[in-house]
Amino acid sequence: MLLPGFLIVFPLVVALLLFCIRADKARDVIVIGGAVVTAVASVAMVATNIGVGYTPIQFSSHAIDYLCTAVGVLIAVVVLYFAVRFKNLFAGALAVVQLVLSLVFEMGFAHGLEVSNGLYYDSLTILMVFIIGVIGSGICVYALGYMKDFQHHQPKGEKDRRPFFFGLMFLFLSAMYVIVFSNNMIWLFTGWEITTVCSFLLIGYTRTEEALNNAFRQIIMNIAGGIGFVVALFASAIQMNTLDLNVFLTQGAAHPEIAVLAVTALAFAVLTKAAQMPFHTWLLGAMVAPTPTSALLHSSTMVKAGVFLLVKLAPVLAVCAVPKAMVVLIGGLTFLLCSCLAISQSNAKRVLAYSTIANLGLITACAGVGTAEAVWAAAFLILFHAIAKSLLFLCVGTAEHHIGSRNIEDMDLLFERMPRLARFMMIGIMCMFIAPFGMLLAKWATLVSFVDGGHIVMILLLAFGSAATFMFWTKWMGKLSGIAAKPQNVEVTVHKSEWAAIVTMVFLVFVGCLFLPLISNALVEPYLLGVFGTDLQTLSDDNLWISSFLSAIMIFVLLVGLERKSKSRKVNVYLSGITVDTDTRAFTNSLSGSTEATARNWYMEDYFGEGKLTKPAHIGTATIIIAAFVVAIAMILL
Amino acid sequence: MALVAKSPWVIHYDGSSCNGCDIEVLAALCPGYDAERFGVINTGNPKHADIFLVTGSVNERNISVVKEIYDQMLEPKVVVACGICACSGGIFHDCYNVIGGVDKAIPVDVYCPGCAVRPESIIDAVVQGVAVLEEKAKAMKEARKGGE
Amino acid sequence: MTFLSVIVGTVAFAILAPVIGCFLAGVDRKVSARMQGRVGPSIMQPYWDVRKLLSKESASVNDVEGVYVTLALVLAVLSGGIFYSGGNLLLCVFVITLSSLFFIVAAYSTRSPYAEVGANRETLQVMAYEPMVLLFAVGIYLALGTFSVSGILDVEVPAICKTFLVFFGLLFILTIKLRKSPFDISMSHHAHQEIVRGMTTEMSGPTLAKVEIMHWCENVLFLGWAGMFFVWSNPLSLILALVVAVAVYFLEIWIDNNFARVKWQAMLRWSWIIALVAGGVNIAALMIL
Repeated sequence: MLLPGFLIVFPLVVALLLFCIRADKARDVIVIGGAVVTAVASVAMVATNIGVGYTPIQFSSHAIDYLCTAVGVLIAVVVLYFAVRFKNLFAGALAVVQLVLSLVFEMGFAHGLEVSNGLYYDSLTILMVFIIGVIGSGICVYALGYMKDFQHHQPKGEKDRRPFFFGLMFLFLSAMYVIVFSNNMIWLFTGWEITTVCSFLLIGYTRTEEALNNAFRQIIMNIAGGIGFVVALFASAIQMNTLDLNVFLTQGAAHPEIAVLAVTALAFAVLTKAAQMPFHTWLLGAMVAPTPTSALLHSSTMVKAGVFLLVKLAPVLAVCAVPKAMVVLIGGLTFLLCSCLAISQSNAKRVLAYSTIANLGLITACAGVGTAEAVWAAAFLILFHAIAKSLLFLCVGTAEHHIGSRNIEDMDLLFERMPRLARFMMIGIMCMFIAPFGMLLAKWATLVSFVDGGHIVMILLLAFGSAATFMFWTKWMGKLSGIAAKPQNVEVTVHKSEWAAIVTMVFLVFVGCLFLPLISNALVEPYLLGVFGTDLQTLSDDNLWISSFLSAIMIFVLLVGLERKSKSRKVNVYLSGITVDTDTRAFTNSLSGSTEATARNWYMEDYFGEGKLTKPAHIGTATIIIAAFVVAIAMILL
Repeated sequence: MALVAKSPWVIHYDGSSCNGCDIEVLAALCPGYDAERFGVINTGNPKHADIFLVTGSVNERNISVVKEIYDQMLEPKVVVACGICACSGGIFHDCYNVIGGVDKAIPVDVYCPGCAVRPESIIDAVVQGVAVLEEKAKAMKEARKGGE
Repeated sequence: MTFLSVIVGTVAFAILAPVIGCFLAGVDRKVSARMQGRVGPSIMQPYWDVRKLLSKESASVNDVEGVYVTLALVLAVLSGGIFYSGGNLLLCVFVITLSSLFFIVAAYSTRSPYAEVGANRETLQVMAYEPMVLLFAVGIYLALGTFSVSGILDVEVPAICKTFLVFFGLLFILTIKLRKSPFDISMSHHAHQEIVRGMTTEMSGPTLAKVEIMHWCENVLFLGWAGMFFVWSNPLSLILALVVAVAVYFLEIWIDNNFARVKWQAMLRWSWIIALVAGGVNIAALMIL
């Protein structure tokens, strides 16, 4: 009781402090202190609860119920304020609809339904606590240095909104803890809405036209998802007579026919939050925000809240055909299409965004399959995606401030210009897509679970999607790895706080990959045992240990082996015998002048461009969602 | 026999030849003569080649190219000047822009005259070049031993 | 147990595969020469070539290229070890992909225009064949009931009876993996490609020797993939598998000598279509029936 309460309240207090404080020094101290305490408390929570099963915490309070209502109203007011101020009436209208629905629900339906176990935790929660506490706080520390540079780059006279920014970051963490600990679905919904509005404010941080447009796109899609959540609450209260998440899950698994609408609506809310097609555009738009925001949204919060809930729903989805089909298909299609779309992107942050959406698609599909093996895979996808993606965002953010661009083409020669950063980035990239690192092991388990479940379409989507994944990561890595003479090293000015966060993430990659079998035993298998009654593990321990061993070698080679100076004679690159300058690849042209050989990566826009794929993807996935709702409602009515 | 003798990979560069010798060089490397019997492979890449076949004379424009290709080849390596122009400048010897034979730019190991040089002589020259290659390989080996 | 057998298998593979692969490469050159009406070099020629390369001076354009190539070689050997020790087929597939990644990065790291174009094309080649490779592993799993390669010795009927379409698909992408024309677009074994020597343009001497040895090991591994379709509980079937592997190799040499190099668009399109049709139909049939 103590630690969960502390984890929810403490970041909230830090957030309130940060909202009020304007001095740089004081903010540094509070952010670092707050982050360290949050991380330590999270680790303590993990350490004291290894292998824990479902543990309800008896706690209910009308005060908190009223507080939730108040927060709901406040959120609607905030959205309305911005909607009116920036003349986006549609967003405002949606906010009003959601507010009215949730008020009707709370006044008219929720009163009779007491939830005695307001909070709970189990091994999945513990895993999420680790991700939010360690990775989330790491990003907050990183943001300190980053936002100093960011403010520096802003036009003169621009208001310094950093107190607001850091306050929101910690508020976000607090809301995430609410989501992972709440057993009362109304509280869960409140946390859910806070994350929505926090990311709305963070995306619109710079208040440029582009930022505002994208922020409104986010809020519209996510409020639509929020309305889906309210519908799920209605359905749950009316048909299943409960607002207790655990009861909802057990009853849903036992009687899928009555849970169908509630689960479909909840799954819909998840799809919007986890930025699955056709709602993926909000996450792409979120790239206008400062990089720590993107890192936070992509790795440890927001989208992970969505898939976390979906993984909780997995046992119900496994037996509930309609939402299952919707979730699995959308997840699989999103994985394939976004992996292909990522090939056509040269903006590093957009590549990362597409890759996030694709991986979330995979997690979504795994949760939809809903077997123990699939959930094992989903849990590890969540963990390793959080670590690797935050590492990559932080690296790209730092690179952007030092080379002045986030375009992958401009990262040519980064291996020498920012030696440490480039190596860390390569580790992050490898962790995302290739054996023996964590993400690939999870994909491996995913493939096995698809095969065992007989999901032929999913196998095909996974096979082709993985091939596309190889393409876009490899060409990026290739761009980073280029070496020519000795360009100026520009990384000496990177802030200490940025290094601290980046090195933490690299350390987490290392520990995660090395001790994956132990993490599986300590955190993931207990959850499977509790929910599915089996701790079945798809990949044998031997294979996992071989992979751990290999990961150790890979990381050693990347960090140490590449530093070795070879004794071989150094020769120029071959430029057909007419070299002018080997470092710039300049050669004598036919007019006796000098021409530089340039090379761009392949983007293959004719095949994988946004213009080609986005529209059919929208139509296809939207059709699937509408069809699922039609069938679900028909099943309830008939 | 040193191993390098069994796998002489060649690279061909046309200096300022009238193309007569080039055609003969390529003819010698064609399936008709099947130089691959002796392990000869025509690489397009100095970094992979052991024997450098140059045709035509050296002039102001190409002297740097000849030198660069030669530098990019790995030791042990051998240069064969194919045709009389490559040997001495040939009939172009007195032209205002011609510097002379290939040996004005890089050390030549085997001279193979002819206008145009015949495939048979080229194969002969390559065989002689292989003998030089062997000597150089041996010298390199000893130098390595001495160095250690 | 698995861990130990993988180590033993890897050591054995590291010793045997280069020998067998070298012999195969010699046969390849001899057979190709005969198809072109030539005498051709000795069977020992690839061995002499590699020994020569090892004896040459060591030169490179940067310090890391050699490290990447060594890593790629070690991983290729490990992948072969996993396969021939009866380990997990998917792990074998993933490790060989990792090996190709490092080879690609080695080419990129040189920053030579030719090597970079080659690396781009190689990345595309991996993308072209990867779906079929995964579907091959899935097909084998459905036929054997396990991802363990050793499982082939326990089945009553060979995998080919259930997965002949997958086998066909594998044959198609093996042409890419064995670097045979028409799909040798990233680096060709034949003289004169428009991008010099593609990925290996900047690799020379001992480094190039490592690339050759890696290629031999890969060939032995891939022919093992083709052969495993024909093995069942009868030990004599191993001979059949050997015969099939040799036949497949001969087929690939024949294709190599009879087709002109295609553009990448055609390669990507055809390998994906074949993966989708051959792999998809076969696996769907296995799952439904």
